Amino acid sequence: MIVALVQAALPAALVIRLLAITATLALTRRPKACRFVSLGGSILASALTLTVAVHVISAGRTVDGVLVGHAASGITFGYVINPLSAWFLMVLGLIAIPVAVFSTAYFAHAVSGPRTSTVGAAFNLLLGALETVFAADGVIVFLFAWELMTLATVMLVAVGHEDLASRRAAFIYLVMSHVGTGCLIAGFLALSAASGSLSFAVLLSGHVVSGPMRHGLFALFFLGFGVKAGVIPLHGWLPEAHPAAPTSVSALMSAVLITAGVYGLLKVCAFGLGVPDVHWALLFMGAGTLSAILGVLYALTQNDIKRLLAYSTIEHSGIILLGLGTGMVFLAQDRAELAALAVTASLAHVLNHALFKALLFLGAGSVVTATGTRQLEQYGGLLRVMPWTGLCFLVGAMAISGLPLLNGFVSEWLMFQALLLGFGSTTGLMRLNFPLGGAMLALTTALAAACFVRAFGIGFLALPRSRAASEARESPASMLAPQAFLAAMCVACGLFPGVLVGALGRVTASLPGLRPRPDMVRSAMGIASVPESFDALVPVVLGTAMVLALALAWRVTNTDRAVRRVPTWGCGGELTARTEYTATAFSKPLMLIFRAVYRPTRKVEALADVSPYFPQEVRYRTSIEPTFERYIYGPLVRGVLHVADGMKVLQAGSLHTYLAYVLVLAVLLLMWLGGAR
Amino acid sequence: MLEALVAIAGALLQAAGMLAVAPLLKTGIKKMKARLQNRQGPPLTQGYYDLAKLLRKEVIRSETASWVYVAGPRVYFSAAVAATTLVPVLVAAAPLEASGGILLLAGTFTLGRFALAAAALDTGSPFGGMGASRDMTIAALSEPALMLGLFTSALAAGSMNLGVLARNVLQQGPSFHPSDMLAFAGLFIIVIAETGRIPVDNPATHLELTMIHEAMVLEYAGPDLALVEWASALKELLYITLLVDLFVPTGIATSASPLAILGALAAWTGKVVLFAIAVTLAESTNAKLRLFRVPELVSVSLALAFLALAIRFL
Repeated sequence: MIVALVQAALPAALVIRLLAITATLALTRRPKACRFVSLGGSILASALTLTVAVHVISAGRTVDGVLVGHAASGITFGYVINPLSAWFLMVLGLIAIPVAVFSTAYFAHAVSGPRTSTVGAAFNLLLGALETVFAADGVIVFLFAWELMTLATVMLVAVGHEDLASRRAAFIYLVMSHVGTGCLIAGFLALSAASGSLSFAVLLSGHVVSGPMRHGLFALFFLGFGVKAGVIPLHGWLPEAHPAAPTSVSALMSAVLITAGVYGLLKVCAFGLGVPDVHWALLFMGAGTLSAILGVLYALTQNDIKRLLAYSTIEHSGIILLGLGTGMVFLAQDRAELAALAVTASLAHVLNHALFKALLFLGAGSVVTATGTRQLEQYGGLLRVMPWTGLCFLVGAMAISGLPLLNGFVSEWLMFQALLLGFGSTTGLMRLNFPLGGAMLALTTALAAACFVRAFGIGFLALPRSRAASEARESPASMLAPQAFLAAMCVACGLFPGVLVGALGRVTASLPGLRPRPDMVRSAMGIASVPESFDALVPVVLGTAMVLALALAWRVTNTDRAVRRVPTWGCGGELTARTEYTATAFSKPLMLIFRAVYRPTRKVEALADVSPYFPQEVRYRTSIEPTFERYIYGPLVRGVLHVADGMKVLQAGSLHTYLAYVLVLAVLLLMWLGGAR
Repeated sequence: MLEALVAIAGALLQAAGMLAVAPLLKTGIKKMKARLQNRQGPPLTQGYYDLAKLLRKEVIRSETASWVYVAGPRVYFSAAVAATTLVPVLVAAAPLEASGGILLLAGTFTLGRFALAAAALDTGSPFGGMGASRDMTIAALSEPALMLGLFTSALAAGSMNLGVLARNVLQQGPSFHPSDMLAFAGLFIIVIAETGRIPVDNPATHLELTMIHEAMVLEYAGPDLALVEWASALKELLYITLLVDLFVPTGIATSASPLAILGALAAWTGKVVLFAIAVTLAESTNAKLRLFRVPELVSVSLALAFLALAIRFL
């Protein structure tokens, strides 16, 4: 009975999404009904997915079934939810439900009436496609869902298509995704040609290909999935597409869409092509570190809050990859317990990143709705007018900075353990990669702290920097409740990491080559690492100590004296928003220190009427060089255009020529076939 | 059960003791610095007088500030106090060492800094923002060097737990291996940077444009300021104790016998005084670096830590 129910859950979720899409499109003229039907259906479907995912993880048993079957031809497309896909489906469910609740109020503001049905339909389409991607049992279903996922995202990115930036973002995303999908199709075709099957169970058994072919396929899959995961230098679409989409959709993209790329990398590159080569692992670690450092460095200088969050997504994608790469080194060395630790760190970070990034994006959505701008320099003082949004954003900012007692610290802690154990278990020069990776991870985390002190402090504290900010109003409860839920999850995962690691123990146990240690979990409150118990972590103990110390601080300072409120000293002048420290100024020291990366340009213009010594107005302009756009994407695009230009000779536009091509090709093919026989 | 009770009692005692001693360290360094400059300097009890005075003063806060401004010093303080339970001081085991090791310690300090930097932005004064920006910048740069330095010790002991680390060094006896010297030099630079000492920051400056930590807390007064000052002193004492544990734990008690603990108290006091002298000398013989020269200093520390690692393990 239960088995049948569980088996029906995912197909039911997909059917609900399809019904919701149909109903939404039918109700195009009634935006309000559209919102309720599409988002209500989405919540129901996500809840079903979440239930089945949690069931699979807790029971540790795979659930599979049939999605579509055609009796006459004997073709069936099935799904399979193993613990790994269940983990990703759980992340999807945990994020999609609050995002949908948030969107009921948010879409009313952010999406114009006639477009509501498109957005609602695309929202469900994206989630349904993602569910199918995570649960696909074969190549056909997977690629079909993968493509649907891309197209649904393009629809959502191009919602505001009157805007050139929005169209451009959608186009860049479409092109890059399709290049990636092309790589995937080539890779899967090669795999199925070698194995004669289309089912993942056969394709990804790890014994299909060997030798140089295996390396070639790895490269194809790395490119294909890397684009989705936003790995630098394949990240070009990410900072463009995130700001263009409605903010709640950006939350989904950062938290779930990116993880689809990670899921692919994990499923195929790490576990699907046999025991990973050490060089692949090093490539993962290198690309991960590069993405992490550059991602956070670029995030630091952004003044557009959504672009800032988008770059920070690249950073976290990099951290996830670093953990995965470490796990692959251990897999290559057949160190099952250490590999399980590193993969646990990586998967824990998938969930943690999804939680705090979705939280921050929803917070940004609230703020953008209230102020009408995405510019950090236009905010200020929002904590006063939006106290709850501010509090939730602060929790998210602290979690993403990897501070103890919150969830970001847990996965980064696990990652440090894995890196240290990696050093201990390898020999030769290669082992230096691990402490270097650790140092870079430490730098990334500390830079992220600077970045989010800036985002929170400039955005929410001190005086309002614009009228929009001073007139902002707190969001309605339906937008606050999802943020509160996500913030509570960040705290819960930070205080009870044992639950997280325990669940991941069942996930990693199902993966080939991994053997998680049972003593990794020390009750719900803490974790101990494998295998020599490098260190333990029990956040609750530190939390208790901090609460006691806080009480002491309160005791020694709190007296009955009244608090006197006085104006801040304005350095002899009047203190206004214009004398406040700006976001640009806050990141200036780091921009100068890392000028080799940023290559900043600066232009100061003094406009003077009478004498240059008495300027009427000073204009200051600073920008950083878009290195990747200029030196990688630019030449690539120019190269492709150049080749296309050359091919124009073939496309003469004359029907006779085309017919001649067909004839020549037919003759050549016949000759080739004849020769083969 | 008994073990847990002992741990809790130890944690409370250690936190109280460190809180009591911390102001002494700060004044001591001030005094020694004054003597080096042929001045008399304040009496050693001055730190306590200052705290008592600040705690008695009126509570005065900016009109523009929100609850974050109030929470900042409190979180900073409680993070520093909580951190005392993670470091072995007299006994070669931290009272609450089961809760986590070096990484948690570093994370706890970051938590305090985050709270204070956010609070600094809250008054709207440009100095607060400037201080927060510079403090976070220097922290970001010193973090990798700190981690690499700690890794070297951790890998040698096979643990990140400070108690295990100290016991390991104790067991092997005093070592003058070049790797230890380099790692020590690297970490010493980081301790200077993290505690806001010359050549990175000048704790005695009243010139706003050169301040870092002081600019960050410029707006605080009365009891709020007392918490910040107290926590900063505690943090400095903790960092010095950390260096002691990692490199010269000699004399630390390995059993809970009263005699051993008394001996450990004497040894620890002596070592902290020596380190305080080293910090004083570093402060007195160097000029404060320009902000943009600090990265060079920190990269020296990073290079030293990396060399230490390479020498030991390659």
